Amino acid sequence: MRTRFDEQLNTLHQELIRMGALCEEVISLAASALIQKDDALAAKIAPLDHEIDEKERQIESVCLRLLLQQQPVAGDLRQISAALKMITDLERIGDQAEDIAEILPFLNGRTLPEHIQIREMAKETSQMVTDSVDAYVKQDTAIAEAVIAADDIVDDYFIAIKNSLISLIAQNPNEGEYALDLLMAAKYFERIGDHATNIAEWVQFSVTGEKNTPQEVN
Amino acid sequence: MTKRIFRSICFVAIAVFLASVALFLCVLYNYFGNVQRNQLKTQTELAAQGAENTGADYFEGLDTKGYRITWIDTDGAVLFDSDAAAAEMENHLEREEIKEAVEEGYGESSRYSATLMERTLYSAMRLEDGTVVRLSIAQNTMLTLLLGMAQPILIIVAIAIALSFLLAYRLSRHITEPLNRLNLDDPLNNEGYDELSPLLRRIDAQQRKIRLQAEELQTKQEEFEAVTENMTEGIVVLNPKGIILSINSAAARLFDTTKACIGQHMLSVNRCMEISDLLSAMEKGVRAEKSITLQGRTYQMDISPVSEDGSVTGAVLLVLDVTEKAQAEQMRQEFTANVSHELKTPLQIIAGSAELLSNGIVKEEDRKSFYDRILTESQRMIRLVEDIIRLSHLDEGANEMKRENVDLFALANETVKSLQTEAENAQITMRLEGTPAILYGIPQLLRSLIFNLCDNAIKYNRAGGTVAVQVKTEKDRAILSVADTGIGISPEHQNRIFERFYRVDKSRSKELGGTGLGLSIVKHAARLHEAEIALNSAENEGTTITVTFPMAN
Repeated sequence: MRTRFDEQLNTLHQELIRMGALCEEVISLAASALIQKDDALAAKIAPLDHEIDEKERQIESVCLRLLLQQQPVAGDLRQISAALKMITDLERIGDQAEDIAEILPFLNGRTLPEHIQIREMAKETSQMVTDSVDAYVKQDTAIAEAVIAADDIVDDYFIAIKNSLISLIAQNPNEGEYALDLLMAAKYFERIGDHATNIAEWVQFSVTGEKNTPQEVN
Repeated sequence: MTKRIFRSICFVAIAVFLASVALFLCVLYNYFGNVQRNQLKTQTELAAQGAENTGADYFEGLDTKGYRITWIDTDGAVLFDSDAAAAEMENHLEREEIKEAVEEGYGESSRYSATLMERTLYSAMRLEDGTVVRLSIAQNTMLTLLLGMAQPILIIVAIAIALSFLLAYRLSRHITEPLNRLNLDDPLNNEGYDELSPLLRRIDAQQRKIRLQAEELQTKQEEFEAVTENMTEGIVVLNPKGIILSINSAAARLFDTTKACIGQHMLSVNRCMEISDLLSAMEKGVRAEKSITLQGRTYQMDISPVSEDGSVTGAVLLVLDVTEKAQAEQMRQEFTANVSHELKTPLQIIAGSAELLSNGIVKEEDRKSFYDRILTESQRMIRLVEDIIRLSHLDEGANEMKRENVDLFALANETVKSLQTEAENAQITMRLEGTPAILYGIPQLLRSLIFNLCDNAIKYNRAGGTVAVQVKTEKDRAILSVADTGIGISPEHQNRIFERFYRVDKSRSKELGGTGLGLSIVKHAARLHEAEIALNSAENEGTTITVTFPMAN
C-alpha cells in the first residue's frame, strides 16, 4: 500500500519537474526572443504554453486522486498541497510568457534605448524561474531563499524601467505606444518573478512545514 | 516438533499398555474360567453323590457356599432351589445343560444375564433315579473386570502421558539444540550429532558455490565499471521509471553531478526538454536521439530501451561529444558557401564583360581593357580552383604523397628567385639568409608553404619595404621565418587568418588577386610535417611568421 503511494508521490514529483522545465523553457525563450530580437523564438512559446496547461490539469487530477484515495498526512500532505499550489503559479508563468510573446513582435521592430534595462530584467527573471524549479527538484530551502531575495532585484528593475519610460514619454510623446508596450512586458516579467517567489515559498513549506511572508499574487 | 514426538511416544506407550492389558485379560480370564468350571464340575459331582445317598434331605439345610443348587425332576419341574421358591419356577427341561445331562449324564452351559454384566456357569448331573442336580455360579464378565480395573488403568495412562511428554520435550530439545547452535558461516566446524553432517556438507557446498558466483559477479561488475569509467562517452543506465541505476564519471561530469545521484530520477539531474523527450520515448520502448548543448559543447544523446517480453525493463542513455563533428559540419557548410561565392564573383565579371563585348556596345578603344579584365578574372579563377584542389588533396590523400629528404634552404632560395619579379614590381627588397636544413618531407607542400608565406609578405607590404626569409637549424629543429615590414595584422584577426577564405581586408586582398586560401594551405602543410606556426605581428609595423619543423628522421 505504502509502496504504491510512494510510487505515486514520485510520479507527481517527476511530473512537476517536467512542468517546471517547460516553464523554464518558455521564460528563457521569451527572454532570448527579447534579447536577440528573434520573433521565431517567440513563436515557439504558444505551443509550449498549451503543453503547460495540459500538464497543470494532469497534475491537478493526480493530486486530487492522491488526496482522496490515500488521505495523506504530515509531510506527504504538505508535498501534495504544495504541488497543487505550485502548478497554479507555474501555469501563470506560462501564460505571462505567452503574453510577452504576443507583445514582442511590436517591440522587436524598434531600437531599444540603451538605458532601459528590460534585457537585464528578463535575464534575471528567467534565472529566478530556473532557480525556483531547481529548489523544488533538490528540495533545497537555501536556493528557495535566494529566489525570494532575487525578487527585490526584479522589482527594482521594474521601478527603474517605469521611471525611464516616464521620462521617455515626456521627451518624446510620439513614443507613447512603444513605451506602454515595454511597460507591459516589464510588468509581465515582474509578475513572473512574483510567481517564482511563490514557488520558492511553497518549496519551503513543503520541506519545513512553515510558510512565512505570504505574498499575494492576483 | 515436540508435539509430534510427544504424540508418537504417547501413542506407542498407550498402545503397548492396552495391548498387554488385553492379552493378560484374555489369557487369565480363560484360565480362571476353566478352573472355575472344573471346580463347578467337582462340586456338582459331590452334590449329585450327596443327593443320591441322602435324597431330598440332603438339600435341607445345605450350605450352598455361593453356589446355587437346583434339583429338577425328570419331567422338568423344579424340586428344590437354593435361591428361589421351587414351586414358582418354570419347567427346566428345555435348558441346554439339563437336556445334555438327561441324555449323557452330565451337561454344561453358560449364559449371559440380560445386562451382560454377569455370566452364569451351569453344570448339571443326572442321578440314578433320573432327576437332575444342577449347580450354577456367577462369573464376572471381562467387561466387569475391566470396569473394575478402570481406575488403575487410567492412572497408568496418565502416568504414560506425563512421562511421554517429558521424554518428548527432552528428546526434541536434544534434537533441536545442536541445530540452533550450528554456526552456518563455517558449517564443517560444528559439533552436532552424526546425522547432521550430510546437511552441513550440503550447506558448505552451497555456500562455496554462492561465494564463487558472488566473486564472479563482482569481477564482472568491476570489469564493466572499469570499462565504462574510462570511456570518454557518458553512459547512464536507467530503470523503466527513469531512476538512475548507474552512471559513469564522464556522464556525471557532463551533467554536473556526482555518483550520489544514483537512485534519483534522471529529471532531477537534468530536466531539459531533450531529456524529458528521451524519457518519454523510452517509456514507449523506442530508440531516440537528441542533441543537446551542455557547458558550451554539443552532445548527442542516444537512448536505447532494453525490452524483455514486450515490456521495457530499463534503458541505456549514451552521451557522445559531437562538438568537433558539429564544428566540422559547420565548417564544411561554410566552405561550400564560400567557394560558391568566391567562384561566382569572377565568373560574373567575365560573363558581364563578354556580354558587353558580344553585344558590340563597347567602343573599339575600350575593348582592350575588357579583354584584360576577362583574362585577369579567369586567371584568378584558375588560381582559386588550383588552391581548392590543393586543399582538398591535403584534406584527403596527403598521406600518399611521397616524402623525401629536402633542403629547406634550397627550396626557400628557389622561391625567392621565382618571386623576384613580383617583388621588384612592388618595389620590395627580398633577402634570404641561413644555412641548409635537411628535412624529411613532401617537397611540393614545403614549396607551396614557403611560396604562400613569401607571396603574402610581398602582397601585404608597402612600397620600399623588405621581406626577410631566414632558414636555420637549432638542435633537432629546422626553423623557417618570413618577416615583412608591411601593414601587419591586428590582434582580433590574428586567430582567424588561418581559416579558409578569411581575409583581413577583403577589398585589398581581391585587388591583389588573393584567394583567401594561402594561409590555410600553409597551416595544412605545416600540420602534415608536425610543424608549429608562430605568428608575431604588430599593426603597421610588420608580420613575422615562424614555422618550426622537427628534424628527427
